Amino acid sequence: MEEQEFTPKIVGFLCNWCAYTAADTAGVSRLQMPPSVMVVRVMCSGRVDPLFVLSAFLRGGDGVLVAGCWPGQCHYQKGNFHARRRAAMLKSIFETLGLEMGDRFRLSWVSASEAPRFAEVAKGFTEEVKQLGPSPIWDEVFL
Amino acid sequence: MPEGLKINKGAQEAVRELLCSLLESGRVNGVLALGRTRGANGGVAYSLFTDSDAFVADGAALPFLPFMPANAGGLLSRLTLKGSLAGPVAAVVKPCELRAFIELVKRSQGSLDNLLLISSTCGGVYPLDVGANGGLEERLPRYWEAVKQGEVDSDVRPVCRACVHFVPENADITVALVGEEDLDTQCTLFLDTEKGAAFVKGLEGLQGTSLSGELETEPIQRSHSQRAAYREELFAGVEVGMQELIRTFGRCIGCHACKTVCPICYCSLCYFDSQDCEYLPEIYESELERKGGLRLPPNTVFFQLGRLAHVSVSCVGCGMCTDVCPADIPVSTIFSKVGTSVQALFDYQPGKDVTEEIPLMTFEEEELAQVAT
Amino acid sequence: MNDKGAILPAENGVEAAVVGWLKEALNKKVFDALLMPVQVPAGDSFAYLLLQNPALLENGSPLPPVMPVQGARAISRLTMRGNGSKRIAAVVRPCEARAAIELTKLEQAHLDNLWLITVDCPGVLPLSDYLDDPAAGAARFVEASQHWDRAPMRPVCQICHRFSMPASDLHVGTLGSADGAVFVIPGSPKGERVLESMDMPVDAALDDWAAQVKEMEEAQTERRQQAHADLRAGIAGPDGLLDVFSDCINCHNCQRVCPVCYCRQCYFESAALKLPPENYLTRSKRKGALRFPPDTLLFHIGRASHMILSCVSCGACEDACPMSIPVAQVFRLLADRAQETFGYVAGKSLDDPLPLVAYEMDEFHQVEQPYVEIYHKREVQDA
Repeated sequence: MEEQEFTPKIVGFLCNWCAYTAADTAGVSRLQMPPSVMVVRVMCSGRVDPLFVLSAFLRGGDGVLVAGCWPGQCHYQKGNFHARRRAAMLKSIFETLGLEMGDRFRLSWVSASEAPRFAEVAKGFTEEVKQLGPSPIWDEVFL
Repeated sequence: MPEGLKINKGAQEAVRELLCSLLESGRVNGVLALGRTRGANGGVAYSLFTDSDAFVADGAALPFLPFMPANAGGLLSRLTLKGSLAGPVAAVVKPCELRAFIELVKRSQGSLDNLLLISSTCGGVYPLDVGANGGLEERLPRYWEAVKQGEVDSDVRPVCRACVHFVPENADITVALVGEEDLDTQCTLFLDTEKGAAFVKGLEGLQGTSLSGELETEPIQRSHSQRAAYREELFAGVEVGMQELIRTFGRCIGCHACKTVCPICYCSLCYFDSQDCEYLPEIYESELERKGGLRLPPNTVFFQLGRLAHVSVSCVGCGMCTDVCPADIPVSTIFSKVGTSVQALFDYQPGKDVTEEIPLMTFEEEELAQVAT
Repeated sequence: MNDKGAILPAENGVEAAVVGWLKEALNKKVFDALLMPVQVPAGDSFAYLLLQNPALLENGSPLPPVMPVQGARAISRLTMRGNGSKRIAAVVRPCEARAAIELTKLEQAHLDNLWLITVDCPGVLPLSDYLDDPAAGAARFVEASQHWDRAPMRPVCQICHRFSMPASDLHVGTLGSADGAVFVIPGSPKGERVLESMDMPVDAALDDWAAQVKEMEEAQTERRQQAHADLRAGIAGPDGLLDVFSDCINCHNCQRVCPVCYCRQCYFESAALKLPPENYLTRSKRKGALRFPPDTLLFHIGRASHMILSCVSCGACEDACPMSIPVAQVFRLLADRAQETFGYVAGKSLDDPLPLVAYEMDEFHQVEQPYVEIYHKREVQDA
């Protein structure tokens, strides 16, 4: 598979109130975005269970994006603070075990009115994941 | 300087006397401690003793035996899950078991009320298969010699040799063992809390002189450095990387014993045993199409990483998981290594302070800025 | 169906022959996928793989030296929620096939699109023995199995008398294989159709093989009965059983690896056994001490009462026990006796109803009689 043909599969957990709205607006406004993010709408970034992230990677996801409201602006006040801690924990686990997943996992804050920012995040992260190549466990049998 | 009680008897004898007196005087209604089972092999299990006879010279109780058939923190949770103790019960537990219990109390899985917690500085325990093959008895002399010198016998579990938390936190009474050269003739009990002191004060049958002393003696500090060095070595030996993880867990048979014996894994129905993991045939078939092959039962690596995500923040390195694994996988080494990193991230020490919140249950408004990009 | 079989040449040994045959079946699309043991990447164990890619068969082993996962568990995971659309051949040992049949009766597996393929089984090594030195273990196994020497095998394997054709769709008969060939024997119409599509005529006489199997079965049955007698003497009475389980640490591994124990949450881990502290203290006062956690014997006897009628004596429980308790030996004794009571053999046939589900109007009066005699007599007297 040539690199320029490789379209990463990035599972994107987007919070309903901010990130999903931004993504939706970006789409409606025809902002250029790669088709790599497979959107899963959650009510809050704090809904994202670390198991979702792990499952996405272990099923062959090339990248995982979690996007939510800026700290202090969470629709449910605290959800994204918890999301941040969980993301930090996951990254620590990945790093300690030498897993590439740490580089393929991104947490971003995107508010509802920041459609261009969402497009940037999607583009930028897609590029990063493209550089890393397809998931090394895409066809791993002994998981 | 903490208050202590020096008793002119060997540690084993002194502690038995203490527990015997506590029961006979009615100051406690029961004692949870290791004891002999009936097996010819010299089987050992934790028991809830209510008869003080167990603590006389050749009685069934074996406090401080270097063996851990179950993490007593989990047992204390079992004891107090459905309600606090109405009257006092003493428990003789190791530092990691105590820390595990504190972590469980934070999760509403137990209560500290009316528990008299007796612990000791710990020289480690032997693996389960040593006990299973009747090998404990013959190792005891060598074990205690090492403890007196402030060292850890080489047959003791690797995670114990790598343990830097062998001085108990949150005990009411701590028995000084590590580095105490006169263990056979003298014993110092540190009365860490007012509760501990109250239970012991004026206890009939317990003769000792008060003293003020430091628990952290020079041998303890030396042991700490040695164990810290071994810990670094042990953790460095863990093979990292996805392919290495797949190799390490290649032998895993998915029995989930590690989860069953883990004190922190208290869920009555684990996610990985739930309906969520009972997949439709189509799911298996579509993965099969993509990969050409998949391991059954599925989720071997997922279970390990998932369990890490759930417990690493509170892992106390008790080593039960490695002990119980039928496939000889060094689970505890991996979990302790990851646990240490995750705990350092949040500057958190599991089991240290029961009022300190579990890191994933709380947050600061300004922190971890580097995580979101 | 059992008196004729097809011939499968096996000059390079049984493993190579079976793997080659399966590869051919896969290529000819007789099956869509295979489920069989494959060596893991580190080479130190075997895992069940569901595979479509013939390249994965390179490290495949129809008769690996160990049974880390009971094959019926793999089959159950795959088919518990129904039959898939792919036709799958599962290569398993006879006890795994029997467990799969029991699980099907218990609605934990569906075998419509699955072919059970078994091989005459010499047993497996104890898992801990093998893990000490996998390469040596593998060699030891090959040597012993060639001569049907069960000495290095697990205790339950040493006295197994159901090592040959269970109710599988196809069975590879290797006992007494001469001229470098083995038999592939169909056990069902499904199995027959497979041999037809592979142009393997079912016309070879099985007399020799059948005779050897019978001879070995008889010898094994005798050994089994002796082992049972010896064991029973050792565990009779509450003392005996308490001694056997004295080392138990309540890890419940035995329950978890057992193919028949399929409950998501075992009764013995449920809220039913989580009691207030007063309960434990009262019980402790009665005896002076209470082993903690309590109910060790209750767990084992209780588990037996739940699953013993479907126990296939596979020995997974004993392999998994960290305290080397002879769980499988105790359970196989209980299983044989209990199943005998109902004239039932676990896993023998899908058509045999589960003993606790079926009943007759007129049976087991010896269990009810004392009650009827005592109270009926009284009623008659009082009338």
